[in-house]
Amino acid sequence: MFGRLFIRECRQTARSLIYWLVVLVLIFDFTTQLGSTEIAEKPKKGQKEYGLKLSDDENLIMEATLGSLIEEYSRESYRTYPIGFYKNVTLNEKEDKRIGEIIKETTGISGREEAEKAVDDWYGAKREASGGEAAVMMTGVEIKPVKGLSYERFEKLMDEVDDILGGGSDYAESERGAAVPMTYEDAVEEYRELTEKDRLTGGYARLFSDYMVLFLGILPVFLAVTRSLRDRRAGMQELIYTRKGSSAVIITSRYFAILTMVVIPVLALSLIPLSQCLKYSSAAGISVDMLAYVKYIFGWLLPTIMIVTAVGMFFTELTDTALAVLVQGAWWFVSVFTGARGIGGGVYGWNLIPRHNTAFNWKGYQEGFSQLVSNRIFYGSLAVILIAFTVFIYSQKRKGRYRLSWKGIGRLKKQI
Amino acid sequence: MERYWQIEKTNLKYHVPLHLLVCILLLGISPLLMGVANLSAEDTAKVLERYVALIGIIMLTPIFLPEQDREIRELVYAKYMKSAQVYLIRLFGNLVILAVFLGVYIFMLWKNQCEFPVPEYYFGALAEMLFFGGLGLGFYGISDNLVIGYMAPIVYYIAAVGGGDKYLKMLYPFSMSMGSYTEKVWLFIAAALLAAAGIFFRCRETAGNRFIIRSKQMKI
Repeated sequence: MFGRLFIRECRQTARSLIYWLVVLVLIFDFTTQLGSTEIAEKPKKGQKEYGLKLSDDENLIMEATLGSLIEEYSRESYRTYPIGFYKNVTLNEKEDKRIGEIIKETTGISGREEAEKAVDDWYGAKREASGGEAAVMMTGVEIKPVKGLSYERFEKLMDEVDDILGGGSDYAESERGAAVPMTYEDAVEEYRELTEKDRLTGGYARLFSDYMVLFLGILPVFLAVTRSLRDRRAGMQELIYTRKGSSAVIITSRYFAILTMVVIPVLALSLIPLSQCLKYSSAAGISVDMLAYVKYIFGWLLPTIMIVTAVGMFFTELTDTALAVLVQGAWWFVSVFTGARGIGGGVYGWNLIPRHNTAFNWKGYQEGFSQLVSNRIFYGSLAVILIAFTVFIYSQKRKGRYRLSWKGIGRLKKQI
Repeated sequence: MERYWQIEKTNLKYHVPLHLLVCILLLGISPLLMGVANLSAEDTAKVLERYVALIGIIMLTPIFLPEQDREIRELVYAKYMKSAQVYLIRLFGNLVILAVFLGVYIFMLWKNQCEFPVPEYYFGALAEMLFFGGLGLGFYGISDNLVIGYMAPIVYYIAAVGGGDKYLKMLYPFSMSMGSYTEKVWLFIAAALLAAAGIFFRCRETAGNRFIIRSKQMKI
């Protein structure tokens, strides 16, 4: 029964206009974002520059972060990006006092006056050293931490500062750090990681996933909502209710059909960058991982497709409206803009749309891997729970026990 | 004139409240999500173009929703008044609501010491709202499917966020934050054309000339 329904659902999806619109959008996404991607060449000695990297020197990180904190503390105004948009935060007395205590513990600077003086002194010293104002503006304030401050304690306190500011500040884990220019050796090491650890395709499969997940964070909801509303639209709802197939079989066959039909074009598109990698690797003598794209599509993208589809089906069964589009649209919006600051990868958190907008940064990926796995398992599980609820709602509707009626709600309000 | 007002009154009473509520909610929670005080012109433009303009999709796309059910549609179209007139009245009514909401929001930004050219930003953001709404309305009218109506402006928005002005050129919706207003004029023209196309196809379809898409093979 399941197999028969599943195939029928796949056929129906393949014949629907909205499905081909989704496929077109995915092709558009691929060609505009990844169409002109070129495989990175091995760095050559004597290049003008090799790009920037985040320094892992703990002292540099502490100096830059504390300098920024003291400057903002002295201004009594903090810059944050909670969902990717600029937000200015002003603290109340209690919060301001706690920030003062943290500054005292980390730098030994006590109170706002001392903080202002430290900032002025730093700018004065820079101005004197460089002899020009423009040069001063290129550098952020740097303040040395007190002796004996461990990096662990510093991290804990900066996390607290970020919490006080409501998240999205320069003191959040993903934002702490100092960018320094890469040397030739750094660039070679990065290239070696890409070709040996990631076996070339791993890095490019991550980049592919990064671009595809942006659209896959919303597109499946349109398919799910349209499918769930189709029976009602065609006046077939009551007829299907009376059929002998169980609610679980009907809903899960629709669900798996949508997942399959969304994954197919993504798999097909991945063949293009895979062939590019194969062409490059055969000339460069690199042993590639042939299944890297498949692994990333199922490990990175599928949980997002699963939860987005589940949200679509759940809210449509619950309300018989296109409300899911609004819900998923809002979730997408918040996820994309909050994730924008961790675009370089390595900081995946619990974001629905994990970003890694580079073929490099293998180290960051390794560091964030366990978090990424937890994230993906969480959304996969949540999708299963939502589908279970959808089955329950559908079965109640079939039995005539549930129907959300807006008129009924209106009447209820009048009675109250 | 009284008949037109009756149509708008019915629209306001039965069809608009839920969408109105969503818009109020979206605008109401914005100070929690982003800064709305002491912003530079560029940051103000970002708030208006990337956030506030989205209410255009919510208010304008579902203009045809009350007649979504085919039987109701047949009944309504049998009435003396032309369906296009009914849609235009609804469209105009929702447009006025959008203009008022935007006006209140811009006034709030201005009161909160944000530095920006008020008239340019007002009409620029309004043009973008109309464009997003017009895109939704156009696709809804052509496809006779609300979900496609919502999908079109949302995909356009994502393409603009992801691709910048490289591909969208004169129809790039976030040009104000780069200091350019020319795109807004094009967005306004495109909005008018899309809305007209949506209404035209919707009315044409119901008149018996079933337009493209609804063939037996294509199940929306």
